[in-house]
Amino acid sequence: MTPIIQAKNTDKRKRYSQAVAFTVFKLMSYSVVAILFFILGFIIVRGIGVISWDFLTKAPEEGMTKGGIFPAIIGTLCLVAGSSIFSFPIGIMSGIYMNEYAAGSKVATFIRIMTNNLSGVPSVVFGLFGMALFVNTMKFGDSILAGSLTLGLLSLPLVIRTTEESLKAIDNSYREGSLALGATKLQTIQKVVLPMAFPNIITGLILSIGRVSGETAPILFTVAAYFLPKLPTSIFNQVMALPYHLYVISTSGTNVEASRGIAYGTALVLIVIVLLVNLLANFLRNYFSKKVKTN
Amino acid sequence: MLTIDAKNVDFYYSEFHALKNISLEVEKNKVVALIGPSGCGKSTFLRLLNRMNDLIPGTRMTGSVLFEGEDIYAPNVHVDELRKKVGMVFQKPNPFPKTIFENVAYGLRVNGIKDETFIEQRVVESIKSAALWDEVKDKMKKSAFALSGGQQQRLCIARALAISPKVVLMDEPASALDPISTAKIEELIYELKKDYTIIIVTHNMQQASRVSDKTAYFYLGEMIEFDETTKIFTNPKEHSTQNYVTGRFG
Repeated sequence: MTPIIQAKNTDKRKRYSQAVAFTVFKLMSYSVVAILFFILGFIIVRGIGVISWDFLTKAPEEGMTKGGIFPAIIGTLCLVAGSSIFSFPIGIMSGIYMNEYAAGSKVATFIRIMTNNLSGVPSVVFGLFGMALFVNTMKFGDSILAGSLTLGLLSLPLVIRTTEESLKAIDNSYREGSLALGATKLQTIQKVVLPMAFPNIITGLILSIGRVSGETAPILFTVAAYFLPKLPTSIFNQVMALPYHLYVISTSGTNVEASRGIAYGTALVLIVIVLLVNLLANFLRNYFSKKVKTN
Repeated sequence: MLTIDAKNVDFYYSEFHALKNISLEVEKNKVVALIGPSGCGKSTFLRLLNRMNDLIPGTRMTGSVLFEGEDIYAPNVHVDELRKKVGMVFQKPNPFPKTIFENVAYGLRVNGIKDETFIEQRVVESIKSAALWDEVKDKMKKSAFALSGGQQQRLCIARALAISPKVVLMDEPASALDPISTAKIEELIYELKKDYTIIIVTHNMQQASRVSDKTAYFYLGEMIEFDETTKIFTNPKEHSTQNYVTGRFG
């Protein structure tokens, strides 16, 4: 019998290729993290200098070379809230329909293909569409309403998809267990399936918020103001928004060079908002998955 | 009156002819075991009795199933009403991600019962009937997921009993459990037949012979033989039945 420790040459070779493969995979995944940290570090180093209480709470001044970005922060928050009001209910209900009522049917397959196509549409096309439909045809003008609807359309496929996937992950035995007790399909969805899928659904919703808050093209023709120090008072007002403000002061401001610091500061604020949103998503998922077991 | 009376039932999954001309009568407060090799149609037949197969797309049935004289496949039947009377326990324990109490209360709540005193009373009774009370009485507000597999399965039985069904269908209720939990479930079935009619699918010959009054042997979608359990196990009419129950195949 061959002792275990005296491996043959062929065995050495297979162990060697295994070690090489794992090293390569490891390096690749580490480099992803490194790139992320590099971007973050770059933005932080360049942008941290301009961050101050005034920067966060004042309007831009002197041709956007001084002052703060408060109107843009508020504008972005308005757009996130507005688009969520529109896309969450529609997206969640569509997702429920596709997985719980029409699963495997031609209708569901058709809707799925269409939503996949929709998510492949470039965001600038959403912007043009939003301008044609909401701004011009429906006469909302450049407004929070038009921008929110456009961003809502953009995030709809993501919301539908995450809802559907979260529901799909729930084992059928729970549905059968509920139905076998005389519950209707709707009761089963409300009381068993949705609470179980909720932690994952909410993660998807929050990630879509992250996506929406960073989009520039869809708001370009539908809501974003070049410079508007006043805060909005109605959904028919224009607003400034962080991604568009960043674009403006980096490319077409009154003095691009003088605005450079503010641009990095704006980028930093935007990134921090998206990061906080993602952390919140993680926290809520953990919180609700613990809670759902004992409700 | 017969509790269950299936007449000339044929069942298809798309093209696959899963049940061939099955007729089976079940009397009140009896335990009937359905045995046979995997894929013989015994679970499919069981799931016809509370219309669980309705949930599988592309299935088709002919023939009729009467529950206490009523055709359960008649167009005006409300499936949820049927399932209140014909409860089911599944192969894999499937408690809901809720507290132990709420798991058992679930069937009452979805059927519109609001009276909390009544609900509490039914929950305790059902858990006692499922021989689980001593183990869970101090943790009714804890998650059902904290229970062991055997306890979860008895909780699922309690959940089924809470809505006072007439019939309890059990689809291999002990196959995912250890021998001690299995023994507990078997004892329980013996107790339950005083109040309920039970139809149980099992792969375990000893289990079938221990718990049931009558046994039906299924093979390739046909019901080969249906008789008193003692007869099936000691002196079956069909050669195929004899081979199966003595373990020569299957």
